[in-house]
Amino acid sequence: MFLALNEMKHEKVHYGLIVTMVTLIAYLIFMLLGLMLGLAKENTAAVDSWQTQTVILNKGANINLNQSVIPANELPKLKAGDSLVGQSPLVITKKNGADKQSAQLIGLKANQSIAKKVTLSEGRWWKKANEVVLADSLKNKGYHLNQKIKFSGQAKTYRVVGFAKQSTLNVTPIVYSQLSVWQQLKGGRQFGASAIFSTRQFKYEHDNLKSYTKAKYVQKLPGYSAQNQTFAAMIGFLMVISMAIIGVFLYILTMQKLPNYAVLRAQGISTGTLVRATVSQAILLMAVGGVLSLILTALTSLTLPEAMPFLINWPLAIGLTLVMVILGTLSSVIPVKLIQRVQPLDALN
Amino acid sequence: MPVIELKQISKFYGEGVGRVQALKKVDFQASTGELNLIIGPSGSGKSTFLTITGGLQSPSEGQVLINGKETTKLSNKERDRMRLEEIGFVLQSYNLLPYLTVQQQFELVDRVKKQGNLSQAELQHLLEELGISQLVHKFPDQLSGGQNQRVAIARALYANPPIILADEPTAALDSERVKTVGQLFKDLATKRQKAVVVVTHDQRLMPFADRITKIEDGQLTQVK
Repeated sequence: MFLALNEMKHEKVHYGLIVTMVTLIAYLIFMLLGLMLGLAKENTAAVDSWQTQTVILNKGANINLNQSVIPANELPKLKAGDSLVGQSPLVITKKNGADKQSAQLIGLKANQSIAKKVTLSEGRWWKKANEVVLADSLKNKGYHLNQKIKFSGQAKTYRVVGFAKQSTLNVTPIVYSQLSVWQQLKGGRQFGASAIFSTRQFKYEHDNLKSYTKAKYVQKLPGYSAQNQTFAAMIGFLMVISMAIIGVFLYILTMQKLPNYAVLRAQGISTGTLVRATVSQAILLMAVGGVLSLILTALTSLTLPEAMPFLINWPLAIGLTLVMVILGTLSSVIPVKLIQRVQPLDALN
Repeated sequence: MPVIELKQISKFYGEGVGRVQALKKVDFQASTGELNLIIGPSGSGKSTFLTITGGLQSPSEGQVLINGKETTKLSNKERDRMRLEEIGFVLQSYNLLPYLTVQQQFELVDRVKKQGNLSQAELQHLLEELGISQLVHKFPDQLSGGQNQRVAIARALYANPPIILADEPTAALDSERVKTVGQLFKDLATKRQKAVVVVTHDQRLMPFADRITKIEDGQLTQVK
């Protein structure tokens, strides 16, 4: 560490450029990770806030809430933690028809689990059928408490009585209403619900209904897996390529230092000491670059627009930094081979 | 008893028709308190002689004994240890790390050799003797050639080895500086009781030597 630290302090420009490169690569990785997690959260925020463990859907719906309908006469007996959920895509507008917004109508029963789990940032839950609670994000679109809104294509108006946190499903804001509103929209009380979301872990299969774990349900959200896999592949490739680049840089740096190393070898300093100096230098470069990029990412996240889904998961980001440090250390193995070949005799040449 | 002993040392480079013999059955001894000058032209085998003596390479034939221990039979690790503890090298390139200050060059020795180095008081005295005590916070590129050379000598002495091996220490120095360096090596031998071996082609160092050995075509002839 003594050799590594002093060399870095003396060759500030040299190593400053390498740290800058590592920082920028790690920054790019963390920004991609932030976007991936942000988008993933927008897909699952509501399901997470409902503390879902199991989802019962119509077997023919291909694990897709949009396609699932459970007839009222097929509804199973509910237990504590189970909630009937009626879901329907819709477009809302202000009373005058302005500010159209795509949304997901989620019809609930007030006495069931979900209505107790969702946290309101403002207002209260609905008491009447003509009252709704909107997702927080709709506040930014000009919606506010006591506002009258309409569902596109309908004459009836609904009054906004509250705003709920973490209320997006498939990146779309939720409009919470009574289950009867959803039933009315669907065409009558013969429609029991779209699905049953439960905070319990259990298996259920009966006639046309089947239970799925939350993980399975989330993986089948439209576009969710493809999006996450794309981001994960980008991050993975970026990490491998960047580590290869850092390995090349370390190789070139080590090549430049071989005459010095030969002199040290002639003086009796062991190969092990020189290898430790090179490896500790790689660890230092990666760690400093990683920490700087985390700070840069955190600062950037403060300046991003609300509409951009971005989430920093600190344990994951720190874990990824450690992986980068480990990969960077592994990439220093190539120059280590060079050091092992240094002959003390070279000091005289 | 000699500190350095070379017995019937031969060194061959290459194979077949391209085979060259750099040293031919060389015998040599050096003792504590002596300045030995190995003098000869380029290509005479000086560097091969020095590197074999210092354990930087092995001879093709013969034995090298340092303090009575045969070095040709040592492992690489043991040879590293021997160079660290028994031999101080003063190389033509001054053997200083460009990114360490003069003070840190000594700290590096402390880190790799924990015991037996000079004390801080002894180091201070040595630096004053060499006229470089005011340069401890400077980097090698902030020093003149002569200053670098004196730092390299101090660094070689800091580990307190019984043997000092120097390779062309007066290359590119003017006559006045050669006298200073010659006297310095003489003092190392006599005052500090080291066995000093200097290989050079510089005849200006001859007045300072206790023993002078000429090397030509890989063969040694003692002339003083």
